Amino acid sequence: MSEQVKTTRIPIVERVLEANDQLAETVRSELARRGIFAIDLIGAPGSGKTALLEATLRQLKGRRRPAVLVGDLATRRDGDRLARWCDRVVQISTGDGCHLEAGQVRDALTQLDLDGVDILFIENVGNLICPVGFDLGQAVKVGLFSLTEGDDKAAKHPYLVTAANLVLLNKIDLAPYVSFDRSGFEADVRLLNANVPILSVSATTGEGLDRWLDWLDRGVSGAQGARAT
Amino acid sequence: MHEFSIAEALATQVLRHAPPGRRVREVEIRVGAMRGLEPDAMQMCWDAVTHETALAGSVLVMDMLPWSLACPACGRVWESPVLFAECSCGEVSPRPTAGDELDLVSMTVDDDDGEPEATAAKGEAGAS
Repeated sequence: MSEQVKTTRIPIVERVLEANDQLAETVRSELARRGIFAIDLIGAPGSGKTALLEATLRQLKGRRRPAVLVGDLATRRDGDRLARWCDRVVQISTGDGCHLEAGQVRDALTQLDLDGVDILFIENVGNLICPVGFDLGQAVKVGLFSLTEGDDKAAKHPYLVTAANLVLLNKIDLAPYVSFDRSGFEADVRLLNANVPILSVSATTGEGLDRWLDWLDRGVSGAQGARAT
Repeated sequence: MHEFSIAEALATQVLRHAPPGRRVREVEIRVGAMRGLEPDAMQMCWDAVTHETALAGSVLVMDMLPWSLACPACGRVWESPVLFAECSCGEVSPRPTAGDELDLVSMTVDDDDGEPEATAAKGEAGAS
């Protein structure tokens, strides 16, 4: 080791993801200006993110003007599925990336005609950990869990639960067939995020979707009202 | 593996703050428990991201913060290595109070020909 070299410690203190956060703020103000309610949907692979969006878009048809950004590692399958229900879908292929970042959202939005759009769904890459720390400029984060994943997943993913504005529990139609302690799951969620709403849904049967749609409607009203003032 | 993206962002950030022409020896970050950052994975990503760059060979120092829990019953706040812990008062549901820290804290650079001046680092630090 060379002892001749003198060094200086320079204190800085800045968020590591500052650059991403600044891009996210740009996206957020553009969406706010347009009165678009943006949802970052985060859930594990197979939790039903795309199925939920398919069911949701079917319900919104004629009532809302949605747009969808969908992150996927390699395929276009999710985008193709959603394009059947919505004519404003952009697939973001992340390659090796395990999450979306604000720059990808900003770029994808330039490919969409946002005139008249009132709700934007951003389906993140299937992953309960990596996406949480990356602000995309969304209005809300929705954490999607499902009965088949096991009732310990909220406890094991505290960052998502803490950051979520809504927790959705999907696949409740499978309740008779899987062992899932719903009150234990909810207690874990409450510990991490005392006031977050928890809604149980089945994207397959449509059970519980009405409350999810009400929640979305309130979000859209809020975004449009904020634009009006 | 979000460590890779974080390492990339960190390297860009360090290069932006580093005084021109001074070798960066050490980079110090602070990581909250909520972030789920794996130190070994982060170290590996840092080495990969900085390989053959101006930051090659720099040491990444990670200050991994413990959970900070607050008891809703007695109000005690303490640090815990685990998220789910019972309070000494018997309450079983203490809540985490923080944990999402992910900050560049400092960097250590070679002095410029015996001129121990750190002011060059101020350059872009204040940008917005």
